[in-house]
Amino acid sequence: MNPMALHADNRNGDSGISARIRFLLWCAVLLTVFVNTTAYATGTRHKINPQTGIETWQTRDHGVFLSLTQLTPGQAEAFLLARGFDRKSAEAYAAACVFGAIFRNESVSSPVSYNLADWRIVTPHSERKLKLKSDWARQWKARGVSESARIAFRWSQFPTKQRFAPGDWSQGMTTYVLPRGGRFNLKFKWTVKGVTHEGLLSGIRCAANNGSR
Amino acid sequence: MKACFPVLGAPLTTVLGKLLLGCLVAFSLLANGAAASPPQTLARVAGTPLAKDFSLKGMNGKLYRLSDFKGKVVLVNFWATWCPPCREELPSLERLWQLLNHKQFAILALNLGQGPDAIFEFTGMLNPAPTFPILLDRDSAVFKSWSGMALPTTFVVNREGRIVYRAVGGRRFDDPHLIQQIKALIKTGR
Repeated sequence: MNPMALHADNRNGDSGISARIRFLLWCAVLLTVFVNTTAYATGTRHKINPQTGIETWQTRDHGVFLSLTQLTPGQAEAFLLARGFDRKSAEAYAAACVFGAIFRNESVSSPVSYNLADWRIVTPHSERKLKLKSDWARQWKARGVSESARIAFRWSQFPTKQRFAPGDWSQGMTTYVLPRGGRFNLKFKWTVKGVTHEGLLSGIRCAANNGSR
Repeated sequence: MKACFPVLGAPLTTVLGKLLLGCLVAFSLLANGAAASPPQTLARVAGTPLAKDFSLKGMNGKLYRLSDFKGKVVLVNFWATWCPPCREELPSLERLWQLLNHKQFAILALNLGQGPDAIFEFTGMLNPAPTFPILLDRDSAVFKSWSGMALPTTFVVNREGRIVYRAVGGRRFDDPHLIQQIKALIKTGR
């Protein structure tokens, strides 16, 4: 064997090892950046379903995931009619701005809690509370909505207060008293290990009467 | 390594550029994968409280009492046909049911507020269709007494009738990690 060739091979090998170490270091740096950015706020992501035009806004922040998906007035009304609501009550609900919400605890070890009463609808001119299911429940009782319909309504709405273990999540309907087609930001709060965090889902739009826009 | 990254012999700047790109692609795939498939876990319930007994009619007309299942691990699932994650997880519950020994394990799926017709119409479309008992919690009194907040919620009760695990939100019950949690409970009782 040519000793020079062996030497050259060794040099290539050293260079390869060095490049591998650099590669691993870069990966470690990138992984650190990746983990840190996903553990904190990722901003608002906006998606449009190409088939239906329905819009979704979602964010990840300090171990939680929040998503709001538009429900058109027609969808909201149909859901309530199918649960046994009378048409007038279903229309009253559909006149509000309805979103399907998903909230997930994505942390590895910490329970997360929230209270919808602390969340705020932010528009350029005002900051107001969400309409909670207890507000609707009073309305349904006064309107004489049947008990079975009220039971279905109760469990289909996003829970007002929740405590999630890691891996837990919820899906339900939330209502915002705003004009159809109107835009707003949602200021939402949640608590982890006694510390309350605040996030913002921005540029949300209520589905308009004839669809999402 | 060389086969995977044939650029290693190239100047450092080029190498790093390509490696960075590779890393970014790998991590974005990792990120999307993590978001698409969240971990399937059952959370331990602090203090393992005694499960409140209930007595409810099943779809088959039979009366089911939780205390009759003492000595078995019982998975109690609260659901409704109009709840999307409930609909999604039911077939995986059936696969879990088919996997485990029925002498040591039971599933009771408590439907909230609906009648047998609506339930039958829905379960008939599932593949596999549930063969475990479906009970009618018509006024959701049992769910409220178990401090249920959202659908679906699942509790796992040990052989002594204590609640050991809780899961809020849908799960894939045939996930290996989740099966392992239940098998361990059946084996050790804890």
